[in-house]
Amino acid sequence: MLSVRDLGVAFGAVEPLSGVSFSVEKGETIGIVGESGSGKSLTAMSVMGLLPLIGGRITGGKIVFDGQDLTDLPERAYRKLRGGRIGLITQNPMTSLDPLKKIGPQVDDVARLHLGMDATQARARTVEILGTLRIPEPALICERYPHQMSGGMKQRIVIAMALAADPDVLIADEPTTALDVTVQAQIIRLLDDLVKQRNLALVLITHDMSVVAQTCDNVVVMYAGRAVEYGPVETIFDRPRHPYTQALIACIPRGLEETARLTGIEGTVPTVINYPKGCPFHPRCARAEAICATDPPDFSVEGDSAAACHFAEVAHAQPA
Amino acid sequence: MPNLLEIRDLTKRFTSAGGPFRKARSMHAVNGVSFDLPEGRVIGVVGESGCGKSTLARLILRLIEPTSGTVAFDGDDLLAKSPSQMRKLRARMQMVFQDPYSAIDPRYTLTRAVAEPFEVQGVKPARPMAEEVAELLEMVGLNPGLASSYPHQISGGQKQRVGIARALALRPSLLVLDEPTASLDVSVQAQIIGLLEDLRSELGLTYLFISHDLSLVKYFCDEILVMYLGRVVEALPDTNAPARHPYTKTLMESTFEPDPKKRRLIAPLEGEVPSPFDLPPGCAFADRCPRASALCRTDTPVLSTDSGHAVACHHPI
Amino acid sequence: MKASSMTARTLDTFARMSIGRAFASGIGMVAGGFLILLVLVAIFAPWIAPFDYAAQNLMNANAPPGWPHLLGTDEFGRDVLSRVIFGARTSLSVSATAIAISMAAGMTLGAAAGYFGGFFERAVMTVVDLTWSFPDILIALIFVAIIGPGLTSTTFAIAIAYLAQFTRLTRAQIVRLKRETFIEATVNLGANPSHILLRHLMPNAIAPVIVVGMLAIGDGIVLEATLGFFGLGAQPPTPSWGAMMSSGTAQLFLSPWVIIFPGVAVAVTVIAVNLFGDELIRALDIRDRLRGA
Repeated sequence: MLSVRDLGVAFGAVEPLSGVSFSVEKGETIGIVGESGSGKSLTAMSVMGLLPLIGGRITGGKIVFDGQDLTDLPERAYRKLRGGRIGLITQNPMTSLDPLKKIGPQVDDVARLHLGMDATQARARTVEILGTLRIPEPALICERYPHQMSGGMKQRIVIAMALAADPDVLIADEPTTALDVTVQAQIIRLLDDLVKQRNLALVLITHDMSVVAQTCDNVVVMYAGRAVEYGPVETIFDRPRHPYTQALIACIPRGLEETARLTGIEGTVPTVINYPKGCPFHPRCARAEAICATDPPDFSVEGDSAAACHFAEVAHAQPA
Repeated sequence: MPNLLEIRDLTKRFTSAGGPFRKARSMHAVNGVSFDLPEGRVIGVVGESGCGKSTLARLILRLIEPTSGTVAFDGDDLLAKSPSQMRKLRARMQMVFQDPYSAIDPRYTLTRAVAEPFEVQGVKPARPMAEEVAELLEMVGLNPGLASSYPHQISGGQKQRVGIARALALRPSLLVLDEPTASLDVSVQAQIIGLLEDLRSELGLTYLFISHDLSLVKYFCDEILVMYLGRVVEALPDTNAPARHPYTKTLMESTFEPDPKKRRLIAPLEGEVPSPFDLPPGCAFADRCPRASALCRTDTPVLSTDSGHAVACHHPI
Repeated sequence: MKASSMTARTLDTFARMSIGRAFASGIGMVAGGFLILLVLVAIFAPWIAPFDYAAQNLMNANAPPGWPHLLGTDEFGRDVLSRVIFGARTSLSVSATAIAISMAAGMTLGAAAGYFGGFFERAVMTVVDLTWSFPDILIALIFVAIIGPGLTSTTFAIAIAYLAQFTRLTRAQIVRLKRETFIEATVNLGANPSHILLRHLMPNAIAPVIVVGMLAIGDGIVLEATLGFFGLGAQPPTPSWGAMMSSGTAQLFLSPWVIIFPGVAVAVTVIAVNLFGDELIRALDIRDRLRGA
């Protein structure tokens, strides 16, 4: 449904994103996971065609949606896709909601704009969607303003807006980060149900490996603007081959089970202005050798997963 | 082990004055919290936003004044202390703050920031100050070469280490950790947690660890207090104790495992944490609880202990 | 002793970091250069001025610009250039003294109000706002009525006129800073209120106040000229740009240079102060923090 191949992005001379690839089919969830500054949100913006808005441009690669390359799509055509066939859910619901407008009209507008519905049809659809999102008394909620609702409820409204035009792909950028854990669990369950019931392709962008483990079918692990490893979620968690993925998993406590000592990763997460040369992870990597500081590694493919590490073959056999 | 902290019935009520267009409202941020923290133990306080866990931390350190209740630190009634006695005592009870980005004065070099506790308390370290500062920086895993840097020149994780160095400078016995890793990346969070574990055994510290992250609390702490809307609803005597309060159970079921083979079945939960203003009588969780009865909506359950495991519920699991 | 070394260090860092950066732009350099020149002229006026500013020569009254009176003479035959040069002395010293008094008082009141809060804060802010609601000229008249016309009245009038601005700005900074984690962290170390106020709150609050003070000196010059123009300020023969323009109005068409040159001096100085102030605001990156006042 959506496939990204070797995507590169630049702002002037700075290249915060390069060599990012993933693909997602209908009824599937792909997780894009990484720490701050890894380029995961930028990936989402590139797919949504929002780069020109923030002064960036695509320098290479392809974004193919339903057989059509989006990298050179004119803004007019993009506007039809965005919020139409590709829906977006952001981290902070307040950036997507107009504080001065009632909930009903805000959701109605999406269907009216993208599906050409009239006011009555659109409202009926809004009420129906709010109902499927398990929002109590949807007709009443339509008459409320955003500030009258809790964080979790606002996030549901944003999801409703993303669904209103019946999209094929949903991009969710840290949809639960600002929420409490019990509310996060509810939203995650909701997204899971939507993927299955509506046969959506979901791109879930998150920093939380536990959320990835709970919901995703495939994972892309990003670090310093590059994809460092991708593959099916079981493979990534059971047999990670990139030292960063291994270290990242060793950083998180096992939910309710016994955890061996957390190790942490030496050093700090690089920012766009100081991305390291060669393999971006080499300054923090226990396994790094001279070649890692000079040559960016290629992907070493094994089965349906791949890791960009010069030592991916040995990395799994003997984790650092 | 003797108790380093004894908290009894600690309550903080915030009231907002009414006016011609507004009713006066009152909020029980912390409501009748009691517990003991024995020396050398680590107690975790876990709860969602608005449960009062950060207010509790500040009440215990008397950074805000409680409405009622008592705090005894090492057998001393803190609330009976004069401001100057309190200032002296603070050397022994320190705090690590959630937001390392604003926890150091932006105009202070790391040297000045780490030396400030000595200056403030009028304590002269045994060694020259520069050596003392270098030692403290090394203790928290920072290169002493950073001593002349300003906060904006170092990363968030490094700032949090400076915060820890400042807190430890005067060798306190109690360290209150208020979500010390919540604004850090996971790889850095693990570093800081590891550092705090090491410091605990090296210096024999007692921790009160405040967090919203149950898996982190479970990993880090010996005992767990679960808070909901200002009250402690359950006190787990060890981290493997099964949940007896329905809220604790919900919290556990909402905590995911970082393992795709152990996915949770998420039961739908009605509603969300209600507004803490003007709470209705009865159990605050009743509206969302699958086990709630009529009794839960009229009578507030009290914390009752059964073989060390306390729970405030009319119908415990 | 400690507090003064703190202030010195703060000012020193402030100077190194921002005044340097303000000079870095073209506009900043021209405006700043002019202001430095002006200050030097004011200081060395007796050595620079070609004539005695008070020496009358009725035989040569209302002479047009030329030699030896480059900017001409006034109705008493006094050299306009010398009077403009000495006028710079009056304008700058009155304005700078007034603003310094105003800043010192405003920072003390604002810091105390912001730090202690409560009834004290409300009382201080009410009184200060009251001074703001009076027109500057009216305040000057009150002082003239009490201590008579002259530069002392002018100085106090200007000081009172800007008191509210400095108090409000300082208070806004302190209130904002009080909520920062590092203040809570320092309280938790056992610091007493004077340590919090002098070592953390004031040093962090001072930069925008100094910039506003810098800009206010420009406004102070205008206010001094206005009061001088109405005869409430500098008394003859003390040269003041405002008083010179006032006396020049009588022969506006006969000898316009008497009024034009002091007018130009006021205008150029005020423009330079404002341009340089803008550069300072940009260099310090404090535009947001100035909105609070």
